[in-house]
Amino acid sequence: MTDTSSRTGATDSTGGTDPTTRTDTADRTDATTRIEDTADRTDAATRADGGADPERSVAVADLELTYSDGTEAVEGVSLAIPRGEFFGFLGPNGAGKTTTIKVLATLLNPTDGTVQVNGYDVTERRTAVRATVGYMAQETAIDEELTARENLDFACAAYGVPSAERDDRIDELLDLVDLSDVADRPAGGFSGGMKKRLDAATALVHEPQLVFLDEPTTGLDPKARNRLWDYFRRINDDGTTVFLTTQYLEEADALCDRLAVIRDGEIVERGSPAALKRRIGGEILEVDVGDTEATSDAAVADPAADAAGADERDPIVTAADIARSPEQFGDDATVETTDDGVRVTTRRASERGTDFVVALRQAGVTVERFDVEEPSLDDVFLAIADGETPDLDAADGDPADDEQRDDQRDPVESEVTV
Amino acid sequence: MSTPEVDSGSTIESSPAGPPTGNSFLGDVRVNFTRWNRKAIRNPTAFLLEIVIGLFSLVLFAAVFGDVGEFALAEAGYGDVGYVTFLLPAVLMQATIGSSFNSGIGLVGDLDSGMFEKTTASPMSWTAVFAGKAASELLRIALQVGAVLALAVAMGATIETGLPGAAAIVLVCLPVGVLFMAISNVVGLLARDDEVLNAATMLFMFSLLFLSPAFVPLSDDIELLATVNPVTYGVDAVRALVLDADVATVLDVTAFGSVWNTLVPAVAVLVALDLVFGALAVWLLGRASSANAD
Repeated sequence: MTDTSSRTGATDSTGGTDPTTRTDTADRTDATTRIEDTADRTDAATRADGGADPERSVAVADLELTYSDGTEAVEGVSLAIPRGEFFGFLGPNGAGKTTTIKVLATLLNPTDGTVQVNGYDVTERRTAVRATVGYMAQETAIDEELTARENLDFACAAYGVPSAERDDRIDELLDLVDLSDVADRPAGGFSGGMKKRLDAATALVHEPQLVFLDEPTTGLDPKARNRLWDYFRRINDDGTTVFLTTQYLEEADALCDRLAVIRDGEIVERGSPAALKRRIGGEILEVDVGDTEATSDAAVADPAADAAGADERDPIVTAADIARSPEQFGDDATVETTDDGVRVTTRRASERGTDFVVALRQAGVTVERFDVEEPSLDDVFLAIADGETPDLDAADGDPADDEQRDDQRDPVESEVTV
Repeated sequence: MSTPEVDSGSTIESSPAGPPTGNSFLGDVRVNFTRWNRKAIRNPTAFLLEIVIGLFSLVLFAAVFGDVGEFALAEAGYGDVGYVTFLLPAVLMQATIGSSFNSGIGLVGDLDSGMFEKTTASPMSWTAVFAGKAASELLRIALQVGAVLALAVAMGATIETGLPGAAAIVLVCLPVGVLFMAISNVVGLLARDDEVLNAATMLFMFSLLFLSPAFVPLSDDIELLATVNPVTYGVDAVRALVLDADVATVLDVTAFGSVWNTLVPAVAVLVALDLVFGALAVWLLGRASSANAD
């Protein structure tokens, strides 16, 4: 699978290197990542092709927004979101998430760039955009003096739902968000989770093609959050495109097909949650070790050496030394010792893990537990939020580098094989 | 079809016309009118309190200022007019102003709760949203004025123009209501704080009432201030209907005859002020709901 725009070094409007170029370079090193990041190349195509595409819910090219006080909230964001996708927009406070979503929901005019939602330009066809999207703001926005049913009735009228359909639609939504039992009670008496669910329902009365959810579960307890997640999954399963901003990484991980991470008004990474974790955080290999085996050649042959260099035979130290050797995981691995063994963060955990265990055994170290884990998305997010995104070009970029690393790995493999 | 440049060698086509939204201007007015009426019914405290304050003021002012008022009325040539009758326009203006300021408080509530933004994000006409809210508030003002009028009559006030005059009094209070609704929305949009609005209510209500011929006949000392005081025109118009006489205090118009010499110019001034302050309020509301990145 190839991507012409990436291979030719697509550039954004500012002339900078397109982030997707780095993404696609990484793709060439990882077959799985390559499959998951097909959508990323769609983003690149947005800028390459342009055009109102009925298959896209959102098409943004070089969006910029500067407030009147000079604050540049969004700087050159480009996005393409296919219909039916559950898209996550991540970033720390003040990164530009809410500003972007407000532009998409026609609540803010872009300073520059082109933004189409459901095929309509957000500045030229504002009413059409508003009629085809649902918007759930960061703060719960319901009328607490009205009942749940009255809130939904108001929303139906606001979005022009025909009178004949309203009662059925309202009952259906009340059932969907599990508020049928309290439908005729004023919303002011609801819990935070109930208010959020009602708010979400009001954003869906007109069966929008696309719904914007701006940090919808902020402040909710885990139970209420899980219920909303189920609800969001259901509307997405029904074909609604969902654009979610969140700071909860587990939320993005659990719900989203694809993510973009924004920092200081610019998108710094994008891809599926799994791909992002692999690309940025690598994998985590945890090995718990037992005592050094009595059959260790060095210990048996030379008891004096044993006494002189006791910590060399400490199985944890031995394991850490082996892990740190460049032949084992390469130069970019991070090795930490734990109470029971070592923890290695590396992009080659799956690939080299078995070899590592063999190397430990050859050194006389007993392996009691062996586990390869993906890093949490929190690790990825924190790295990006702090501006510590690893140089992916350097890490994964050139296939020649991979070949070179493979060459370096071969002697170790030979040794193990022997 | 225009094809603005987006990227080197690429374009984004103009978007097609939008789908029908199912919204109509009158439908949007109606749904907002319904929403604010439902809110008032669900939480009638403010509405009922305004009525109670109006009734209480009528009783209190009549008791406290009665003797002084009767004396001042005799001095000003109103010897045959009872003080409750004379006081009635003042209390109606007070009730109207107090109720009108609830409009701004409602707006601040919507700004705080996110309903303002939510409404803005919908395909409803913003003018219709505002008109529906204003219509609901004017309905409540009319009911409050009617309640105060009924009590005043029960306390012995006389409306010389009869039942049609009473209906006209209610109608005259509406442009006064529109004016102070507009002012309260301006204050609300600028301050975005209901405590500021509460303070502004007291400031506007009492300073303007006492700088008008509301409680006692106008003295020379405050005539200039009374001339630029919109409450003066509301008081004059209502009093003309109560007494069925030309009682204009700051304008001298003779073109219309009798009560109309007061009523026509007073209402004209109020409508003109409505247009000015209404335009200011609508402009600020439009700015608050606009998509410009301020």
